[in-house]
Amino acid sequence: MTEPFILFTVAGTTYALRSRDVAHVEMVDQVTAVPNAAHFVDGVVFSRGQVVPALNLRARFGFDKAPTDLSTRLLVVRDGARTVGLVVDAAREFVPIDPAAIQPPSAALTGLSGRYLEGVANIGDRLILVLNLAATLTFEDPVLEPHT
Amino acid sequence: MATRKSNGRAPRVAPDFDTRQVLSQAEQVVTTAGAIARISDEVSEGAETQTLALDRAFHNINQMAASLTDTAGQAESVAASAEELGSSVNEMAASIDQVTANTASLAVSIAETGSSIQETAASIQHVAASTQDMASASQQVTASINEMASSVKSIGRDTESLTASVNETGAAIEEMTQSIKGVSGNADDLAAAAEETSSSINEMAASIEEVGAMTERLASAVDQNSASIEQMSRSVQSVAQSGGRIAEVARDAATTATEMERSIQSVSTLARQADEVTRRVARDAEEGGASVQRSIQGITRMRDSMAQSAGVMREMGKRTGDITTIVDTINLIAERTNLLSLNASIEAARAGDAGRGFAVVAEEIRNLADRSAKATSDIAGIIKALQEVAQDAVSAANDGLRVADESNALAETGATGLKKIMSGVTETVTLVGQIASATAEQRTAGQSVVTAIAATTDQARVIAASTAEQATVANGIVQATAQMRKIAQEVTKAVSEQTRASRDIIKAAQSTTRYAVQVRKATAEQAKSATEIAQATESMRRGAAATTRAVAEQGVAADEIVRAAEAMNRIIGSVSKAMAEQGAAAGEITKAAESMRMQADQTAKALKEQARAMKDMSSAAANTAAQIKTITRSNRDHSIGATAVVNELAELRRITDRNTAGVKQTRTTTADLLRYAEALTAVVDDLRAPANGSNGRPARTNGH
Repeated sequence: MTEPFILFTVAGTTYALRSRDVAHVEMVDQVTAVPNAAHFVDGVVFSRGQVVPALNLRARFGFDKAPTDLSTRLLVVRDGARTVGLVVDAAREFVPIDPAAIQPPSAALTGLSGRYLEGVANIGDRLILVLNLAATLTFEDPVLEPHT
Repeated sequence: MATRKSNGRAPRVAPDFDTRQVLSQAEQVVTTAGAIARISDEVSEGAETQTLALDRAFHNINQMAASLTDTAGQAESVAASAEELGSSVNEMAASIDQVTANTASLAVSIAETGSSIQETAASIQHVAASTQDMASASQQVTASINEMASSVKSIGRDTESLTASVNETGAAIEEMTQSIKGVSGNADDLAAAAEETSSSINEMAASIEEVGAMTERLASAVDQNSASIEQMSRSVQSVAQSGGRIAEVARDAATTATEMERSIQSVSTLARQADEVTRRVARDAEEGGASVQRSIQGITRMRDSMAQSAGVMREMGKRTGDITTIVDTINLIAERTNLLSLNASIEAARAGDAGRGFAVVAEEIRNLADRSAKATSDIAGIIKALQEVAQDAVSAANDGLRVADESNALAETGATGLKKIMSGVTETVTLVGQIASATAEQRTAGQSVVTAIAATTDQARVIAASTAEQATVANGIVQATAQMRKIAQEVTKAVSEQTRASRDIIKAAQSTTRYAVQVRKATAEQAKSATEIAQATESMRRGAAATTRAVAEQGVAADEIVRAAEAMNRIIGSVSKAMAEQGAAAGEITKAAESMRMQADQTAKALKEQARAMKDMSSAAANTAAQIKTITRSNRDHSIGATAVVNELAELRRITDRNTAGVKQTRTTTADLLRYAEALTAVVDDLRAPANGSNGRPARTNGH
């Protein structure tokens, strides 16, 4: 039994999200900056009749921001009742992954950035980090937490 | 009558004896006079010979004078040429040649002059000697005549006593008286003739004194000639030295000219080579210019094509931009397609099994989109590389254009430089051509200079030879003039002796005249004392004795006359000896001329050596001109001197003519004397005829 995942890249590393967590994928057209947002929050976008906050994963993961280009994508995800847009460098693949292939992150890794990771999958020769969406979206932000 | 007879008989024997004696004496006188006439003839002949010799001398002197004048004229022209000599070496050489020729002819003239002067001097010496001898002979003749006169006087005295004895014979005595009167008349004539002789002798003495004066003038003219000839000799010697220096300088000039000619020839060769090289350079430069033009054209064409290709490249770059845009669009479409398929997959997954087929389609669409994206990415990479290449090509083409422009500019500069080189080369060709022609001219000129200098050297050698010869000849002339001076002094001495002798002759002639007067007086007294003959028998006897003594004296006188005749003969001998000496002197002169010629030959040899010593040609040329002027002046002086000599000789000839005339007159006088002696003989014959008749025919005597 496999489960479909959406693969995306941030700063050269391929991550994976469960397809059922992703509402849809968009090209990043225009981000409207909002005042007093966290540094990893680019602003808000209007997506399918809904204002969605755009979270820059590069910034969220501690990397420098990159300019938006043709391959830049906005992954609109649902976490419970929240809908958040994740700005990633690219998102092109829809891959079914056997959950058995997903291993939990090592203890050494967990201590550092493991709280955003659910596990690490090895497909072929590719190493894919499976993202912990809830941990990624858990932060104190006046813009992102209007509903909490 | 007896007294008359005894008186008449005694003198008859004595007159008979005396008249014979007188007759024989008169005959001797006639003979002696004839001898004198012959001697006079010979003297006259000698004088004529002298005149002829003088004519010859005169002729030679005239020739000398003419040649001197000629030489003076030629020397003047030579002087003019010598002045021109300074400007041209050739002309100098020609002038030197002319000078040489003139100097040679001058030398010949001088030699002729010397021999003529020697001849003249010898002739004059001999004339002087002959005149001296003639004077002494005349003295002797005068002495003889004096003695003859004294004996005639004693005859007169004897005749007085004879007359005394003859007085007794009457008619015979009267006849005798008449005869005596006739004798007296004859004695008058004799006196007149003696006076005439005296006057002739006076004239002769005057002319001899004139000769003396002339000879002194001649001596002074000879002195002057000698001085000017010495001057000429000095100037000739300095000319010879200058000629030597000229020859040396001409030799140096010849060496220099030869070297110059050689260097001109090498210059000519170099100029020819330079001409060839320059022409080659001109050809090469022309070819270079043409190739530069060609390369300029090529560069221009290259530039154009480069500009064209740059444009094409730029255009292509623009087109690749379009392609990039299209590729971007395609890429965008591919991305959107990928996005759509991804969302479709998400939707299909959410749909579960119902969406499984849809998911497959979405998967395939995503795959196609990915391939399309990959292809567009490859195209983009290719286009990017192409764009870079095109950009590089454009910049390269731009660089090429710039380089082409720079090359073009450089080529233009090169073409300009080549044009300049061409004009320079053309100029060089012209200049080299001019140099070649100039060196050719120089070569011709140098060769003519060499030729001219060679001619100069030759002519300088010739002039040196001639001047040396001139110097030798001038020395000979100096010696000859010294000899002439000596001879002139001797002539002066001889003429003064002649003058003294003529004075003695005058004295003797005066005494002759006196004696003649005394004879006349005596004859008058004879006439007077004829009447006293009768009373003077005794004295007649004494007179007879005296007559005997006188006859003895007459004999002595006759002896002296004979001696005088012998002296005359000796004089003739000495005259002939003098002639022989003249001949010998002529031979010696000929020998001297030969030795002079030999000396001239030796001089010519010596001059060849002198020619080597030629030096400082140009200054010497000026010097030569000055000296030639001096020579010309000297020649003129010589001409004047020669003219003076000619005048003196003419004067001498006139005097000699006059001497000849005097001798002729002497001869005439001697003839007169002879006639008178014959007349006297006739008178004595007449005297003797009546004396004989008185023996044979007394009646006639008695008749008186």
